[in-house]
Amino acid sequence: MADKEVDELRARLEAYVGKPMGPPAVAPDAVNLPMIRHWVDALDDRNPVYLDAEFAATTRFGGIVAPPAMLQTWTMPRPRIEGIAGRGGAPDKMISDNPIPLLDQAGYVGTLATNSELEFVRYLRPGDQLHLTTEVESISNRKTTALGQGYFVTWVTTYMDGEDEVVGRQLFRILKFDPSTIGAAA
Amino acid sequence: MTSGRTDSLRSTEIAVGDELPPFDLPVTSTVIVAGAIASRDFMPAHHDREFAMAQGAPNMFMNILTTNGYVSRFVTDWAGPEAMIRSIKIRLGAPAVPGQPLRFSGQVAQTSHEGDECVIEVAVRAANDLGDHATGTVVVSLPLG
Repeated sequence: MADKEVDELRARLEAYVGKPMGPPAVAPDAVNLPMIRHWVDALDDRNPVYLDAEFAATTRFGGIVAPPAMLQTWTMPRPRIEGIAGRGGAPDKMISDNPIPLLDQAGYVGTLATNSELEFVRYLRPGDQLHLTTEVESISNRKTTALGQGYFVTWVTTYMDGEDEVVGRQLFRILKFDPSTIGAAA
Repeated sequence: MTSGRTDSLRSTEIAVGDELPPFDLPVTSTVIVAGAIASRDFMPAHHDREFAMAQGAPNMFMNILTTNGYVSRFVTDWAGPEAMIRSIKIRLGAPAVPGQPLRFSGQVAQTSHEGDECVIEVAVRAANDLGDHATGTVVVSLPLG
């Protein structure tokens, strides 16, 4: 890609910084025991504060709390299974004005998740109704990596409860790379 | 099914350099699919081997929500039910795939007091034969005492 094109792409990418990565989302269900039980069994996590109400009442939590790493689970979009593979795994038809389609169109079709940073402001309890907003935190300059040339895209998701109090955050970083440039000089 | 521990570590028992008891997770297709669906992640790469391989992966692979769940479990299995996870910050590397056990290891990197809590920073690593699957830091608190 010519330098001018690289500069133009960089400018278009920069315009997304500080903008939403996707639309605000609302959890389809409040934090609830059946989904906690499903998680506890799937990961064989026997911490009694997640399911044993009597025991949990004796702890500093004062009652049942959800496993903290479930934070993102509560707001996962409801999937439309039919055709999901054809959509590359997207839960449903996504119309998002964010840097990913722009990078795909420019040839940076590869995606590699590189960092996840979860912060928990408080533990969630059954009945908590979550919603979230997202924001593009940064987009790197073009880097030469072992997978080819690409851009690191970082966004932050902020999770809030029914009173709009922040309960947690997640920073997520991916590398969007062009597999055809593998081995290219920097 | 094992029942979880009901006692917690005392903050006075924790010192920088302490090793967490290592934990080996026998990663199978079932482990990966169970975690993916419990976290409501229906991406085919986490349950469909052919799809994952067509995308260049060696096999179907564990989703990040499940990795975070096991990292959290690894730390609270050590610290006990009074432990409160404050953050899980990981760098992602080799995929977790069926037939490649994941070995979790950790070490106390730092401790401090904050109000009536002891705040513990744990350096964690989950690795398999392909390399480091996840490396990073978990910050967890326990009541002082």
